[in-house]
Amino acid sequence: MSDLLRATILVSAALLCQAAEPAAARWEGDVQIPGKELRIVIDLAQDSHGQWTGSAIVLGFGIKGAPLTDIAVKESDVSFTIKGALGDPKFKGRLAANHTLTGDFQQGGNTAPFTLQKAGEPQVDAPRHSTTIRRELEGAWQGEMDFFGTVKVRLEMANQPGGNATAKFTLTRTRDNPLPLNLVTDEGGILTLQATDAGITYEGKFRKEANEINGIFQQGPIEVTLVLHPAAKSGEAARP
Amino acid sequence: MRIPMRISAIAFAGGMLGALCHGQPMFRGDAAHTGVYTGSGPRQLHGVKWKFATGDRIISSPVWYEGVVYFGSDDHNLYAVDAATGRQNWKFSTNGPVPSTPAVAAGIVYFPSYDGKFYAVDAQTGKLKWKFATGGERRFEAKGLHGMLPKNQTFPDPWDVYLSSPVVAQGAVYFGSGDGNFYALDAASGELRWKFATGDVVHASPAYDSGTLYFGSWDTYLYALDAASGKEKWRFKSGDDPLIHNQIGFQSSPAVVDGVVYTGCRDSNVYAVDAATGKQKWKFFNDYSWVITSPAVTRGKVVFATSDSSLFRVADAATGKEVTKQSSKAYVFASPAVAGDVVYLGVLNGTVEARDLNSGKLLWEFQTETSRLNRNWVLTADRKFNGPMLSISSWRETATGEMDRQSTVGSFFSSALIANGVVYIGSTDGYLYALE
Repeated sequence: MSDLLRATILVSAALLCQAAEPAAARWEGDVQIPGKELRIVIDLAQDSHGQWTGSAIVLGFGIKGAPLTDIAVKESDVSFTIKGALGDPKFKGRLAANHTLTGDFQQGGNTAPFTLQKAGEPQVDAPRHSTTIRRELEGAWQGEMDFFGTVKVRLEMANQPGGNATAKFTLTRTRDNPLPLNLVTDEGGILTLQATDAGITYEGKFRKEANEINGIFQQGPIEVTLVLHPAAKSGEAARP
Repeated sequence: MRIPMRISAIAFAGGMLGALCHGQPMFRGDAAHTGVYTGSGPRQLHGVKWKFATGDRIISSPVWYEGVVYFGSDDHNLYAVDAATGRQNWKFSTNGPVPSTPAVAAGIVYFPSYDGKFYAVDAQTGKLKWKFATGGERRFEAKGLHGMLPKNQTFPDPWDVYLSSPVVAQGAVYFGSGDGNFYALDAASGELRWKFATGDVVHASPAYDSGTLYFGSWDTYLYALDAASGKEKWRFKSGDDPLIHNQIGFQSSPAVVDGVVYTGCRDSNVYAVDAATGKQKWKFFNDYSWVITSPAVTRGKVVFATSDSSLFRVADAATGKEVTKQSSKAYVFASPAVAGDVVYLGVLNGTVEARDLNSGKLLWEFQTETSRLNRNWVLTADRKFNGPMLSISSWRETATGEMDRQSTVGSFFSSALIANGVVYIGSTDGYLYALE
């Protein structure tokens, strides 16, 4: 083997090794914000279809299992966003052969460097998914609650062909405020609706004898009773 | 109507006409608390004339009296600083923070401290004249306040930052207290003339007009009392918040102009109330954002700002209809001060804003060094509060931690004083700034 060929093979092998550093792993490290270090654990994995999934833990901030979105892995370049925590910060980094992922952390228009070290296999927190709901819950519901004054509520729920339910929650004080719900579940006899971005949860039980959903509307520590009855006609009853 | 206070013979004799060019030496510039300073301030910022360091944050607003600036600091001291040079004339030590604005009358400086005492100090020498013990200070508190956990725990409110600033009239000095009482003391001797019990903490400051005192309490009421007797003339009910006690109480101090009392409220309204009857004339709702600022009232306009929504607003004094709205970048607690056609406003992100009174447009900004450094990313790149980085846990630390982190950028809780073309204002970075 010529020296030239040997050198070419060695360089190619080195490049292959560098490119082969897998992103799928648990990554631990910190973001060097001026005056503080933000300790972070990132789990990145690929599902059976090759789709990237991930979750984040931010120590000291009460954040565990926040989902990662916009995950992009291209050769050594890795980028993702922590969704629904810390103001949705973005990570743009680069994998290195020494098992590190380094780059920039962007939040609130500020940028700081981060350094993460590979720390084993990924342990992605699977996000909760919506479920189907009982047939008698499908349709439009309405009610009123005392939440810093009277608020009218309209809820529309339906099972989708794929199997999971979707819902539309509209709060009306002086104007309609539709709440973007990210989770609808009907498990153990309890209907749960969540609008994570707004920090709002509604948990209710269907009372067949009264044909009503009796539940608690919660935003942060504030809990108020909200009883929903079938709306008389879709699109009319919830108008202010 | 503005009631002329004592016009110092010394001021005339000494040719210190400047002493008459900026209102009276008390919170909001006069007894009616209009927030209007005669004379003018800088329409353009040329720089920092001087800055004076204290040992802790400054919440107090400075007042000007015969060439000296008086203000309190959380380092427990009241300071007298030469307005021209920024040199300390004297300091007077108490046993608690002094987040109130002193009033000066007849050569005596009056102020309360968090040590539960009310002090009268010689303005020239800084020597104690007398002191009076109230029932003791405390902050507003409530169970599950602002949604803090656990719900059944009582929390003091970290945003109850001010103490009541006194007003001097009719030979008496008037102020509220954390013990729930409103006091009238003889200005010369410190003897109690009368006291009036409200249902909760009184940290808002009284306005005085035509023999009547107006002030708000955390018990949801705005009161009008006869200054001579302490008898209640009327009380006006504001909003309540039994859920988390967030939208309740008065921190804003009223202004009284042409028979109308204007005040902000933590229930998110600015109220205009008939001074004679206590009947509401109008209210201006601010979408659940507190109005801590005390409104400035001038030329038929009510000037105020909001906390969370961070808005600079001007309403028509007669109708309450909005005239101007501009966005400040962060919460505003400091009250707007008007001089000429310019409004000066401290913002909690460590910025002082100067705005055109008519348009509300920004003329200039001053930013503290600590705000520029932005340690811990308290601010976003565009100087808004960086909420996700501020609130770590509502369980372990309460809201105090969040508030302390906010204050690291040199927040301006202090309201500006404008005297002889200079803006004086205190910051939580511990400095009193003189801007020109």
